[in-house]
Amino acid sequence: MNNIQLPLELDEMKEYLEQKIGDGVDEIYTEEIEKGLNNTPMKLIWLKIKRDEFRKAVKTISELQVPHLSVTSGSDIGDDIELIYHFAVNYGYPGDEISINLKVHLPKEDPTISTITDIIPGAITTEREKQEFLGVEVIDIPDSRRLWLDEVFPEDKYPWRWDDKGMEDRSRYVHDEEEANDPPIVKNPRSGGDSDE
Amino acid sequence: MSKDATYEVPIGPIHPALKEPFMVKFKLDGETIVDADPHPGMNHRGIEFMGMHRNPLKVIPLAERICGICSIVHQHMYTTAVEHAAGIEPTNRARYIRTIMCELERIHSHVLWAGVAAHEIGFDTHLHFTWKIREKVMDLLEEISGNRVNYSMWTVGGVRRDIPKKMYRRDFSPKMYPKIQNTLEYYEKLYGKLEDIFLGDPSIRLRTKNIGILTEKEALELCGVGPTVRASGVKKDVRIDQPYAAYGDLELDYVIPSRYGYENTGDVFSKTLVRLKEILQSIDLIRQCVQKMPDEDIDSEPKKAALLNKLKKADGEGIGRIEAPRGEALHYVRLKEGHEELDNWKVRASTYNNLATYAPMFLGEQIADIPIIAACIDPCIGCMDRAEIVDINTGEQTSYDHEELHEMSVRKTREILGDKL
Repeated sequence: MNNIQLPLELDEMKEYLEQKIGDGVDEIYTEEIEKGLNNTPMKLIWLKIKRDEFRKAVKTISELQVPHLSVTSGSDIGDDIELIYHFAVNYGYPGDEISINLKVHLPKEDPTISTITDIIPGAITTEREKQEFLGVEVIDIPDSRRLWLDEVFPEDKYPWRWDDKGMEDRSRYVHDEEEANDPPIVKNPRSGGDSDE
Repeated sequence: MSKDATYEVPIGPIHPALKEPFMVKFKLDGETIVDADPHPGMNHRGIEFMGMHRNPLKVIPLAERICGICSIVHQHMYTTAVEHAAGIEPTNRARYIRTIMCELERIHSHVLWAGVAAHEIGFDTHLHFTWKIREKVMDLLEEISGNRVNYSMWTVGGVRRDIPKKMYRRDFSPKMYPKIQNTLEYYEKLYGKLEDIFLGDPSIRLRTKNIGILTEKEALELCGVGPTVRASGVKKDVRIDQPYAAYGDLELDYVIPSRYGYENTGDVFSKTLVRLKEILQSIDLIRQCVQKMPDEDIDSEPKKAALLNKLKKADGEGIGRIEAPRGEALHYVRLKEGHEELDNWKVRASTYNNLATYAPMFLGEQIADIPIIAACIDPCIGCMDRAEIVDINTGEQTSYDHEELHEMSVRKTREILGDKL
């Protein structure tokens, strides 16, 4: 596969990613948080990738070790949808594990991203979740059925979106199927400015 | 039986204990499982969505209610993520108290699991034995935090309660904590018996050996976590790989079967072994913590109004990643300047990743093994609600409830033992 000797130090890992992914890297920085009396550092890399180079980036990470994909978190940040793939590499080497947080921005007009299930089969759960919660379309996903949301939940509504595709009212869809198909317009809970329940 | 006569058996769907109650649809050829398809989400409560409409301190009680068994896990990850995002450092004493609580919870979770596993294969005496001895650690948790579950100990910047003064013994140094020591000794004494039951008993070995196998390759590719993959020989343990809280100061090693002279087979037996050995590891870790714990404040941000203000001004993102009793889990939090609520919150519990490991574990096994294999990842579907068998050829439906399925499992144990029971 490769002749890189694991574990890689934080700087080496950063260099490796920059070198291999090349122009695909938009932004990269490292972080070390000291913990405990011995000041054991927790090592992280935050990495922003161009969408076209996304698969290349994941392949680069998977060349080191079968990467551990913790989860993908996603959010609506206005014009784009941001996905963050939380990887962990260097596992199995005490104290050397590095969290690689790989960010990709998808424009809302075309919220598509390629699947990585062929590289990491375990990614299927989180990819299915992103499809139904954020309205992201994962291209070539082997199983695109809904995972968490109920059947009566409307097709074009996504709970984690803050725009007009988001939720108008939080409880309405759960109980009444008829209203779910024709929801009354209630203001977006985010735009109101009420902070507490 | 011919290949056409496959049956579909949905098992599930609900268990209110965690975010991941789910149903598994099985395809059967006679008694043999040919396909397993998990369907979670029956009790998806939209907790992340709710969290994104509250201020960061109000989310702490919400986070700990994600799970009743490992409520420490979620409050720990959430507070660590917020601390990371806002650049707040918890005090070192708080780190140690957090570690002690996490390990106490691991003991109670693993002992509880051992009882559930024994019940699933028809040994209810062992269920009652393990749950009886579990009470001791529950009492200690209650004494430290005031609660048996949902401990309400964590806060951003530290913990809310110190280990109570009455746990100190006057004639010893305050670092001795005799009540904690007594509890640990109690488990050490009983540990031999637990091992005799779960690893030595020939009938339990027959029901757990070579059943529900997960190979090392599958474990890695499916991103499984915790004892489920360590039983296959995968060295993944956040406490060691990426130490959090006080784990960086402590000495510990990966618990994998080969360390104790067993093979890394990844079957139910290895998973039991890993969990039992982790009880011993937790006892050792708590002892180390008690010895090393520094005397200082327990909370670096005691003024909560000022803290809320600070969190409102904070702008950043953070990760809380820990080794829960069931395996690695992660919270991601983003704070936005000027926003009182969380900008983004993602919760990932251990069962979420272990869900994918079900398919290879169930393949080729028998219907009577469903309860023990389903239990072996320690999911939060302890009670399988209802199972329905549909004959695809005739459309005929047969329903099995949890009791009947359990009965089948018990019957299998009896068949193996002959008439000895």
